[in-house]
Amino acid sequence: MLLDIVDPAAPMGKAVGIDLGTTNSLVARVEGRGTRPRCLVVDEGSTLLPSAVAYVDGRIVAGRAARRLAAAHPQSVILSAKRFVGKSADDPETRRLSPYRYASDKGPVIRFDTGGRVVTPVEVSADVLRRLKEEAEKELGPIDRAVVTVPAYFDDAQRQATKDAGRLAGLEVLRLLNEPTAAALAYGLDRNREGTFAVYDLGGGTFDISILRLVEGVFEVKATGGDSALGGDDFDRALASKLLVRMGAGTGDPGLVRRMIDAARDAKERLTTDEQTEVAANGPDGRPWTCTLRRSELEEVIRPILERTAPACHRALCDAGVEGKLDGVILVGGSTRTPLVRRFVGELFRMAPLSDLDPDEVVALGAAIQANQLAGEEKAHDDILLLDVIPLSLGLETMGGLVEKIIPRNSTIPAAMQQVFTTYVDGQGGLDVHVVQGERELASDCRSLARFVLKGIPPLPAGLPRIRITFQVDADGLLVVSAREELTGVAQTIQVKPSHGLTDEEVERMLMESLEHGEEDLVRRFVLEARVEAQRILNAAERQIEDNGDLLNADERSIVERAMRKLFEAAQGTDHRLMGERIQELDLATAEFARRIMDRGIQRALGGHSVDEIAPRA
Amino acid sequence: MAACWSCANPPGNGPFCGSCGKIQPAGAQDPFAVLGVPRRLHQDEALLETRWREISRKVHPDKFSRATPKERRFSLEQATRLNEAFRALRDRMRRAEALLKLEGFEVASDAKPVAVKLPPGFLEQAMEDREALADARMQGEDAVQALAAKVRERRDATIEEIDRAFGSWEGGGGQEALAPAVEALAKTRYFARFLDEVGGHEDA
Repeated sequence: MLLDIVDPAAPMGKAVGIDLGTTNSLVARVEGRGTRPRCLVVDEGSTLLPSAVAYVDGRIVAGRAARRLAAAHPQSVILSAKRFVGKSADDPETRRLSPYRYASDKGPVIRFDTGGRVVTPVEVSADVLRRLKEEAEKELGPIDRAVVTVPAYFDDAQRQATKDAGRLAGLEVLRLLNEPTAAALAYGLDRNREGTFAVYDLGGGTFDISILRLVEGVFEVKATGGDSALGGDDFDRALASKLLVRMGAGTGDPGLVRRMIDAARDAKERLTTDEQTEVAANGPDGRPWTCTLRRSELEEVIRPILERTAPACHRALCDAGVEGKLDGVILVGGSTRTPLVRRFVGELFRMAPLSDLDPDEVVALGAAIQANQLAGEEKAHDDILLLDVIPLSLGLETMGGLVEKIIPRNSTIPAAMQQVFTTYVDGQGGLDVHVVQGERELASDCRSLARFVLKGIPPLPAGLPRIRITFQVDADGLLVVSAREELTGVAQTIQVKPSHGLTDEEVERMLMESLEHGEEDLVRRFVLEARVEAQRILNAAERQIEDNGDLLNADERSIVERAMRKLFEAAQGTDHRLMGERIQELDLATAEFARRIMDRGIQRALGGHSVDEIAPRA
Repeated sequence: MAACWSCANPPGNGPFCGSCGKIQPAGAQDPFAVLGVPRRLHQDEALLETRWREISRKVHPDKFSRATPKERRFSLEQATRLNEAFRALRDRMRRAEALLKLEGFEVASDAKPVAVKLPPGFLEQAMEDREALADARMQGEDAVQALAAKVRERRDATIEEIDRAFGSWEGGGGQEALAPAVEALAKTRYFARFLDEVGGHEDA
């Protein structure tokens, strides 16, 4: 059995739904049969807790109080930690305009040096979750379980990190729920509607587009897309840059940058209802500075950012096969309050978007509904089922650094799929297994999730062993990989089992292992790898023709030799993709040859015994 | 599965025990049996989807979040197998593949692409196609799409071969009536890969 599910301790506390957002976080709860979910007041009379944590004077403060400290302590107050969750220290994110100092000289995980204390994004997220939990407990009593939402586009590492943050905060994470799915759940329930919907979710730091189908109480995600580094924060930053230019100041003073970002956000919010507003801030010399900003000026700044959301929307519609057949568009995320965003979405989908529910609260409300159902506290919503898909393809690195997809993007989960691989060298005893996630064809362009070596492959001629690799994705979208050599019945099962029960050190080590690619020239590296691979395969093919050439007739042999010649020619050049293609062609041309060799090999290896006799004991 | 793990009565063929109603481990049922539809190429695809949704609603792990670890494991197995079955049947070519396997043919699949022997002439043609593609790419998108159209025609002819083979099998032609479909199916995989690489829009 691939998965080992731990029996949860008998539930004692209550279960809530949590929207762990980039800018704001919320907690919601369904209290009592047949009632609607509602968000709890968590910070200074508001249901929104700013996802800001201050590490000042040995104290940890979260929310508005932390945000107020940001101007005075720009490096000790972490905002938008979600942007960094599950990312490596050399991620481009760390090079964006931000006031943080990184303690990244050692270790692959991003660490913020807040002055008194070094913290990881997972710890910052855990501090936000802890505060939500404590505030909600004032009203509800003990809480120990939660459904936590994540952007649909989060990869496996980011999901793992979110689950870890929940654990650090003392919450059992019942389910990681995609944010747009949660929103649709809130709408679907409230309206009892059927149809196909697009969920356009523009939050503080992430953009998601999802296409969902609601039929007979079943929610199905047809396609997802988006950008995990695009959101309202970008509006603020772009506007702050414009204001800094207008002020005649640079971006070198972190305190000033922080103040201008705050001023820009406030101005943006006022321009939701006002046509123009006054921006007031202290300049680099500390002297007051003001200017007038019109809504049209704001729109000019944010339109190019907004337009970056359009291609993902078209692709998702195309993937879902529903172009032009939408029944509605749901708006999610505080950034969709901006009038230009509503107009833009209306133009993009050619229909007025739905926005009856508070776009800030809708995700938490949906999460509460799901929490209520999973906690089994009542049966009222028993007819609801979410059928989710994996947002990014899962695959393996193969010859020449190319990716072989095992589970394609948008497969319904839970899912299990497998593929058979073999060895390249005679007597090869081990196989490198590199698990990646993403849509790109080169492994280096995808997210590296895990690496392990399958050992104990019986010494056999190249191409004979059959290594079956199975990917199992559970209902949370988390992956378990197992590999097994099965031709001779020498079965070996190895599991890569991230997250469940891992310590933070282990999570960090896993990330470290995934960061083998440094800053070296990857293209050159792939050319070299492809060339080595090509040479290895040519050698193997030559040797096989020498040893087993009698298995081919003249026609077949000339096809194989032609493919070999073309691969040889490609290997003299520097186009590794071409080499990859030629290798695949040679593969195709020698497929039947390989099968015959394998048959002969098995006959020899078995010395006349039948396959059944050495089959593994079931 | 001789006896239900819970009540020891014979559990029957469904995902749940016929006697006590407990969820059962996922056995070696074929995808048609999993979805409860007859074994044939032609299917009402809307019905397949309805069945998939109905059964999902019963076996999905969300419905077992408070059950015992054993039942949760079985639920994961059942839901995984159900999704696998739906994936295998929702598309006509995959359905053909599933039927051929059930009829005892070894077919090319993602897990075993080399299982089927293609005639040397076809491989020769495949290599020429690739050369033609390289040339067409030099000439521009129109030439690429013209080549794609030609390959699509050959693919459609191959699909017709498959339909004919299944037609005569369903008409009582016996297992050997399906033999031509095995090679044709392997060819469609090559065509799909080629067309996938070329990109462009499928008019189907």
